[in-house]
Amino acid sequence: MIFAASKRETMKIFVSLLFILATIQLTAQTTITGTIKAKGEGPLPGANIYLKGTYDGVSSDDNGNFNFKTQKTGSYTLMVEYIGFESFAKELLLDGTNINLPIELKETFNKLEAVTITAGVFEAGDKKRANTLSSLDMITTAGANGDAFGALQTLPGTTTVGESGRLFVKGGDSDESKTYIDGALVHTPYNAAAPNTSTRGRFNPFMFKGNIFGTGGYSAEYGQALSSVLLLNTNDMPSEDQYDVSLLTIGPEVAATKLWKTGAVTATLGYQNLGPYMRLVPQNFSWNHAPESASGAVSIRQKTRKSGMLKIYSSYDASNFIIGQLDLDQNKMLDYSLKNNNFFVNTSWITAIGANRMLTTSASFTNNEDRVAYDTIRFDKKLKGFHFKQVVTKEVGSRITLKAGAEWMNSYTQQTFMSQAAHFSNSYTNNTLAGFAEAEIYASTKFVTRIGARVEYNDYLGRANFSPRITAAYKLNKISQVSIAYGWFFQNPSDDYLFYTNTLDYERANHYILGYQSVRRDRTFRAEVYYKDYSNLAKQTNGEFYLPGTYNNNGSGYAKGFDLFIRDKQSIKNGDYWISYTYLDTQRDYRNYPEMAIPTFASKHNLAVVYKHWFGQIRSYVGINYKYSSPRPYNNPNSNEFNGERMPAYQTLDISWSFLYKPNIIFYAAINNVPGFKQEFGRRYANAPDDSGVYRSTGIIPGSDRFFILACFITFTKKGDQNQMDKIQ
Amino acid sequence: MKTILFTIIFALVSITGFSQSSEYYQAMGESLGGYSNCKTADDFRALGNRFERIAQAETDQWLPLYYHAHCNIIAAFIETDAAKKDAILDLVEKSMNRMIELASDEADVFALQAMFYTARLVVNPMERGQKYGMLSDQAVGRALGIDPTNPRARLIKLQNEMGSAQFYGKDTKVYCDEAGQLLANWDNFKPKSPLYPDWGKDQVVGIVKSCK
Repeated sequence: MIFAASKRETMKIFVSLLFILATIQLTAQTTITGTIKAKGEGPLPGANIYLKGTYDGVSSDDNGNFNFKTQKTGSYTLMVEYIGFESFAKELLLDGTNINLPIELKETFNKLEAVTITAGVFEAGDKKRANTLSSLDMITTAGANGDAFGALQTLPGTTTVGESGRLFVKGGDSDESKTYIDGALVHTPYNAAAPNTSTRGRFNPFMFKGNIFGTGGYSAEYGQALSSVLLLNTNDMPSEDQYDVSLLTIGPEVAATKLWKTGAVTATLGYQNLGPYMRLVPQNFSWNHAPESASGAVSIRQKTRKSGMLKIYSSYDASNFIIGQLDLDQNKMLDYSLKNNNFFVNTSWITAIGANRMLTTSASFTNNEDRVAYDTIRFDKKLKGFHFKQVVTKEVGSRITLKAGAEWMNSYTQQTFMSQAAHFSNSYTNNTLAGFAEAEIYASTKFVTRIGARVEYNDYLGRANFSPRITAAYKLNKISQVSIAYGWFFQNPSDDYLFYTNTLDYERANHYILGYQSVRRDRTFRAEVYYKDYSNLAKQTNGEFYLPGTYNNNGSGYAKGFDLFIRDKQSIKNGDYWISYTYLDTQRDYRNYPEMAIPTFASKHNLAVVYKHWFGQIRSYVGINYKYSSPRPYNNPNSNEFNGERMPAYQTLDISWSFLYKPNIIFYAAINNVPGFKQEFGRRYANAPDDSGVYRSTGIIPGSDRFFILACFITFTKKGDQNQMDKIQ
Repeated sequence: MKTILFTIIFALVSITGFSQSSEYYQAMGESLGGYSNCKTADDFRALGNRFERIAQAETDQWLPLYYHAHCNIIAAFIETDAAKKDAILDLVEKSMNRMIELASDEADVFALQAMFYTARLVVNPMERGQKYGMLSDQAVGRALGIDPTNPRARLIKLQNEMGSAQFYGKDTKVYCDEAGQLLANWDNFKPKSPLYPDWGKDQVVGIVKSCK
């Protein structure tokens, strides 16, 4: 029939076909309905549901239900999108038949939201949202006056040791803590200081954008540290050309920053002299030459291809002072003079190598010289230290990160002792080669483990060590998680001994940590229990100090206790506070200890309360901080009991005030130990008893009862509204 | 016969083609009308979803991306939970980057980017103030560099300056003249098409009112 049909008829058929087609297109309407739920949880309102490539779609309602119509026919992809969940896609055949779909969305794997390893770790930086401390806090804590190490001493796990100023972590001595800048070891992180006086960090904390403070159980990347590592990360590119002038009561500092398209350079010059300040404020010490220092630093940033970044920092500083010290054996004041020169270079280069792989190369070099003169004695100490490290990090999917690296640490240490009667010079060189590998594996957003190991070989000791490390964290619910950490840690014995012997073995500590953390909005609570088992600690026996046989590895010890930490930025409007408490129970037999004893740097109870408040109307940021450490022991040679004496408890209350005078001008004032709490850090004894058989002694006290500082920070930029607010807020 | 077939096919194609573009205008127009019904963060997110649907169908148009970002920035401002604010702004950032690729010669694109940075800033002004304040100023500068008369770029610049003056305890009255001028000239700026951004007048009216 059709074949025989006339042209006209064919035309008719075509027209009607067309008509039918058009009608189908008009009437073939498909209704798509369904519900959107989170897997294992409730409905998701506000999800975006649509047919890919078309305008047809709808948002889910309050109950997660959706309903929309489409005129489209044929095969289309239905898409569902919702923040924090993986996109959902399903092929649909649209033919006018209504479709009903119950849809479950899977939560995206997002490391920022996922469980994180927190056992023994305090992280500060702007990347993570749930910071315990931000990088800003590290530099704005009252009492620290811009010393990063001082600020860290308001964190749990630390003990304030006023006659040292260094970091003492969870029952560890200060040389058990190592500092790294951008991955490279800092051989001399502290300024030179007179015996029994408090030191400060060498580095301006404003250089750093963030830091990680590992108080135990840290990554296999870090060796040669028995109790803690502090990882400082320097700032990336500055934002514009600028000049900074800082005027402080202790001296001025100027800095200039110049940018080019792919890099920037900052040069800093500073001079400090405590003389004028010390003439105004009464001092407990008699300074014959007040501490004086001159420093210069250059920092370079250069972007390299493949989103790489090269950072170079180099600094030189020279400092000196002469302090009068009571010589208890001669019973007269003698001058103790110290001259220190320190040259430091630190470089790091991060670059992508292939897909999902990063190569980090870091290196540092230190040349440090201390020259001490005391009475008729001269004592010089030189250190040349070098560190080189390469680390490859590879992401395998979104859930596994592999890290492996190798490093070489070299140091040359020399000491020279000269008196009228004798002249000794000793030196030693040692090389440590190390390799490590580590995997961080997310089984889910709730459970993560990091397993790693490290191997070291030291040519001077002629020994190797192997340290496994493992840590894991499990998220209990949206706000809280538990973490555990376990690991072996090794460190070379002190330089003081290695000058005379190379037969010693590594000192060792095993860490066991169990932690709990909950973060609800801007409130953080942390609790941690720890146990550290020290073995192979180096000891000095009664033999002559220059004989190798005088030293052995028979020392041991333990440290156990718990930490509590509360941070709350939420409860008080414009206010922010944290409270740290550490309970420490430790004993050790090391160095020249005759028996197991509580070391002189250990306080049983340590408390820090830090509060900051922003007063908008007067554009002022006020900080107040209170610290308490229970009495520490010290040894009295007149007594039979070793370390049997107790110094008074340590207390301080510090206040700081920053005032934003103009957008580019800030005034800053701070007072340490406002109430003038009496601080005494034990007693110093004569080397030999006097005629009546008594070791004479004198109290170890801080340089002054209170410390004041006034400062003005001025910044010049083209626009004129940048400031150094981040320096002192 | 063949001719007829071709004609029909051609007609069909052109009709569909035409309907595609009219569908775009219609969908955009309807969605833009949706602004007046939005009150809560969820309302703005739902409206943002509509623009997102248009954006994925019209991959070479920047305006749907613009409005998707705009709706969600407003939602982020309304939202009170800091983590949620950031999650919404992460979403905005994706649209923002695609929009800048498509239309890097539009002043409104960078004016919106400035607004985005301000939204990041208010999540935690104490810690983010300096970084995002500067980024916001830079974006406004870029917008005004493209078109110094763009009223939204001028509005955001004014708001940034007033915010900073308020922070430093300065009198914000000095900005009243500028606000008055901005309002007086507002209608002189003609959007390139009815779909182009045209918001902001209400905010200037608000500033001018507060000056009296």
